[in-house]
Amino acid sequence: MRLFLREQLPLLAVYIAQLLIVTLVYRLDGGSSVNVSLYAAVLSTCLLIAYLAARYLSNRSFYERMESTPSSLEDSGGPSQSSPLADSLRRLLAHQFRLYKNDLHSYRHKLEEHVHFINQWVHGMKTPLSVIHLIIQDKDGPPFTAIGDELDRLKKGLDTVLYSARLDTFEHDFYVERLELTKLVRSVTSEQKRLFIRNRVFPVIEMESAISVASDEKWLSFVLTQLITNAVRYTVETGKNIVFRGYLQEGNLPVLEIRDEGVGIPQGDLPRVFDPYFTGVNGRSFQESTGMGLYLVKQICGKLGHEVTISSEVGVGTTVRICFRDTGQLTIV
Amino acid sequence: MFKIFIIEDDRGLVALLQDYLHKFGYETQAVEQFEQVRQQFEAFAPHLVLLDVNLPKYDGYYWCRQIRGISTCPILFLSARDGKMDQVMALENGADDYITKPFDYEIAMAKIKSQLRRAYGTYAGSNNERSLSVGGMTLDVERLSLTRGETKIDLSHTEAKILDELMKKSGILVTRDRLLEKIWDDQAFVDENTLNVYVTRVRKKLAALGITDGLQTVRGQGYRLYPNWEDEE
Repeated sequence: MRLFLREQLPLLAVYIAQLLIVTLVYRLDGGSSVNVSLYAAVLSTCLLIAYLAARYLSNRSFYERMESTPSSLEDSGGPSQSSPLADSLRRLLAHQFRLYKNDLHSYRHKLEEHVHFINQWVHGMKTPLSVIHLIIQDKDGPPFTAIGDELDRLKKGLDTVLYSARLDTFEHDFYVERLELTKLVRSVTSEQKRLFIRNRVFPVIEMESAISVASDEKWLSFVLTQLITNAVRYTVETGKNIVFRGYLQEGNLPVLEIRDEGVGIPQGDLPRVFDPYFTGVNGRSFQESTGMGLYLVKQICGKLGHEVTISSEVGVGTTVRICFRDTGQLTIV
Repeated sequence: MFKIFIIEDDRGLVALLQDYLHKFGYETQAVEQFEQVRQQFEAFAPHLVLLDVNLPKYDGYYWCRQIRGISTCPILFLSARDGKMDQVMALENGADDYITKPFDYEIAMAKIKSQLRRAYGTYAGSNNERSLSVGGMTLDVERLSLTRGETKIDLSHTEAKILDELMKKSGILVTRDRLLEKIWDDQAFVDENTLNVYVTRVRKKLAALGITDGLQTVRGQGYRLYPNWEDEE
């Protein structure tokens, strides 16, 4: 309504001016009295009001449409009324929407293809990796240990690529079930045994009781692997431990705490550690930091419905806590 | 002798697997023409199949269904895909188990053994009973015992693992890292001090068999089992 009135404002102005001029002309001609002029003015104003009303009614939905902002792509269609203006607006919007959708579709297609390619490629790379792994498996000694280390790094790199590519299609690729925390932690630490041994840092598992959480095993294992790699990498002294502590918070919410005795993160860096590509002071002094690890951890935990927090003190160590939600809120597949 | 059929397109991997399986006394055959997997399967009539997912022409799931149409032998998938859904897919297409790449020989071997045992009963017909002999001393890995001459002593799991590794490489240095890796257990982690304790125990067991300085320490590196005790007598 407001838009309609605003748009018709010039017409009203012209109309009033016209009325004044016509009345003035008749008055100067000396023909008519004030009453006649008033009568004529009232009559023609009625006519104008009738015209405006008819015009507004016939284009009402057009104006309403123009005044509202669409909340999603789907309701950005045109007005439903059929008047010439409304019709053409609808056609325009429909056409635009189609063009936009085509564009969007082609990009989505490209993205999907890219993810598919990355998937294929990473899996393709894993076969040569297995071959090297098998070749050096029964060998011992410095060169083979070094190859083994590099192999582990390659594998970890490939996994990071794979998981960050998959993050966008997370919905198709997760499977929530009850997991026993102790078992999960043991299997992840045991998978990383070479990393622990090589750095002479050993895991300690302290579980208050048999805690089970609702989560996706594969994604959560990836998260733990990232956290372990960080914890080990930033523990420079040998003979230190990485403590995995599981306990129940108030309200029976399970929490998994991963505490290291490493170099710690400076206070200034703490708020940004979950940002993508953020490496901070430690990232610059330690090699091969991509700044992706903790970012992925945060993203994945967010999607799984877990809350991840980090606290740290320089020279003392870092603690990462994963708080699992009340299991009732997660649908278990 | 059990026959194992390998359907995998990476030649390097096939060669390594075949070598390893031959060591354990299995007969193997790998697919050459990926258009005629079925015919080759029928001609070879294997006891167990190792099957990759990504293959030229048709994928592993397809061949798994084809094989299931004519045989009930155990089928083990060998794949780089580690997703839960991939494993579910494999099992639904008729597979019995799933190994993700990259894998350890030991894991592959354990799964193969367990499938064979389930399908064909005991270890009958293959020399899977592992025992090692160095200088007249015999280690029985399955029964956890160490024998020399008339004397026989029992070992713990960890002691057996340490001796297994040392005896396999008798005369050669075995690094501490490697020993730690071998005895790392899902149930209890082994740190350096624990390894020292275990090595001491192994020394005591050896001493009980009359071997006093067979197990040598190489400072800062590891240990070496040197079969010098035969000359002592």
